[in-house]
Amino acid sequence: MDVIPSIDLLEGGAVRLGRGEFTLVQKYGAPEEVLDSLDIERGSRLHVVDLEASRSGRPIETEIVRKLARRDLRLQVGGGIRSADHARTWLNCGAERLVVGTAAAESPDFLRGLVEKFGADRIIPAVDIRDGVVRVEGWQRSASESMAGILARVQALGIREILATDINSDGAMRGPSFALYRRLRALTPLRILASGGVASVNDIVSLARLGNVSGCVIGKALLDRRMSLAEANARAATPNAIPERIIPCLDVRDGRVVKGTRFLNLRDSGDPVECAIRYEAEGADELVMLDVSATDEGRRTALETVRRVAESIFIPLTVGGGVRSVEDFRALLRSGADRVAINTAAMTNPQLIADCAREFGVQAVVLSCDAKRANQHFEAIVRSGKESSGIDAVQWCKYAEVLGAGEILLTSVDRDGTSEGFDLELLRAVSGSVKIGVIASGGAGRREDFRDAIECGGARAVLAASLFHERRLSIGEVKAFLTAEGIPVR
Amino acid sequence: MEVTLIDSPVANVANIARALRQTGANLRMTRDPEAVAAAEKIVLPGVGSFVAAMQWLREHGIDSALRTAVSHGASLLGICVGHQVLFDVSHEMGTTAGLALIRGEVRRFEGPLPVPQIGWNRVTFSRNPLFEGVAAGTPFYFVNSYAALNAASEVARADYGGPFTAAVRSEKIFGVQFHPEKSSDAGLLVLRNFVQWM
Repeated sequence: MDVIPSIDLLEGGAVRLGRGEFTLVQKYGAPEEVLDSLDIERGSRLHVVDLEASRSGRPIETEIVRKLARRDLRLQVGGGIRSADHARTWLNCGAERLVVGTAAAESPDFLRGLVEKFGADRIIPAVDIRDGVVRVEGWQRSASESMAGILARVQALGIREILATDINSDGAMRGPSFALYRRLRALTPLRILASGGVASVNDIVSLARLGNVSGCVIGKALLDRRMSLAEANARAATPNAIPERIIPCLDVRDGRVVKGTRFLNLRDSGDPVECAIRYEAEGADELVMLDVSATDEGRRTALETVRRVAESIFIPLTVGGGVRSVEDFRALLRSGADRVAINTAAMTNPQLIADCAREFGVQAVVLSCDAKRANQHFEAIVRSGKESSGIDAVQWCKYAEVLGAGEILLTSVDRDGTSEGFDLELLRAVSGSVKIGVIASGGAGRREDFRDAIECGGARAVLAASLFHERRLSIGEVKAFLTAEGIPVR
Repeated sequence: MEVTLIDSPVANVANIARALRQTGANLRMTRDPEAVAAAEKIVLPGVGSFVAAMQWLREHGIDSALRTAVSHGASLLGICVGHQVLFDVSHEMGTTAGLALIRGEVRRFEGPLPVPQIGWNRVTFSRNPLFEGVAAGTPFYFVNSYAALNAASEVARADYGGPFTAAVRSEKIFGVQFHPEKSSDAGLLVLRNFVQWM
């Protein structure tokens, strides 16, 4: 999959329009300087939109495009191409290909004319889609033809690649429209240039895994330095390098596995050792065990339970619950834990993360963050979901990474035990803000939830408890589904 | 089959011991250099830093005991940092000499992926006794920030933002960068192959 940086041109500069409005212009400076700052390699593809042209109906920023073309880049240029003369102007400036919007959907003769004059490989029709319907004229109106009809017509002309934008998901909060691209994969052999919503390298990996997405056009995330082009290219080239992990979670109280809803109403779900053995046999990649005991007596039992579980499995074991000091941490490692999750204590004493990372290595330190939605943001919650902290969960996770956490176990308190699906916005907010891995927790109910947590949420591992305890879904079923969806698992 | 497990002061010795017993090994755990020097089949564990691991081996005379054992024809398996110390040198925290039983150097990952690597990673290998019966591309569990790159004795490799050496073999000396004791059935098979080999 190609990573295609995108710059929009207005009044001679590189800009971005907030929400597509000409009144909300963010300026990034001279286009050539912007390209220099991106470290774009010779021979790479570059997506250029002449906003002046789309506003005025004729090519305007031709001089800039001419200059960019001299840099040995493969330019695809769009912006109000409404006639063969416009198209020729851009090609004469050095554009390799043309991105044709509304006209491609609305005027079959015009599109055919362009293909006959310039060749199918030089034309990229751009389609904006809302709820399965192509929208035209600045999204104001539905196209007269069906989406399937338009795609079939485009394909019949010999065109092989289209640019598809999902109008609903245009906005980085929800990410690229994986559902749309998957739908297009079933509908057409056309290759797709994905546009919109890419916020982190996780999105690039997920787009590359879809198979039919041949390129992803990225503007804001690159211009705002949320990722480097080198990193994006490297991840796009090897999307399947690392298998994603499925992790059953044992919440243990007084030596028994329990499970509640939103941290309340605990029910008995069996013996921890029996559960652990069954989960390894089913293909669990790791086990998380959280001690939810309320008493000191319960905690002593927990250390013994850790030992019994650790001695019964040959996969990594992460243990958390009530860890308040370096000594607590050490005791759990000695009992057989490979990694230890710190939650409440880290919030009152963040230094604990740094101390444990120095003593045992960052790979051993997992930050367990319980987060809850609260007016326009996510708040970190402490004491097993009972108390608000007033701390922003995303900022807290970023800080924990700096302190030395090796991974983040991120639980949505709102979704815990509900089987309503993971809180994808929470996952995206955190996974897009840190480099370390995020384990998604809270809300698994269907196999699709696991896919969405990884694909859209950017999680590197997915945790579930009641779903597996109650045998509503097996780890094998989840992994078979993920494999079929193009997500690598062990 | 009798196996001597070096009882280094690291957290995963107990896990490795348990995994080796599971494969049917008759296990002897020791810190006694004479016992190591006389052993025929040795497993060298290690987590933590290369520097600390080498320092411990030297302080206890295990470094020269291992060389003696190898010169007598003992077989040796290094695991994780126990694998790394087999090499000539590591660039973790400056430059530190290793046991130099295997040619090559250990370096930090330089790709775009987060370091340390924590998790399962697919391993490809050339035919060798350690991976007998293991399917090509089987994932093993890794936890590491450093690895040997393109070692001359490489028999298995994996990719983490670029290829690195996942296992080496030189005569009767083996090393694996991953944790077989945490790699479920595939890991146990690798250990069993070592225990039952020759």
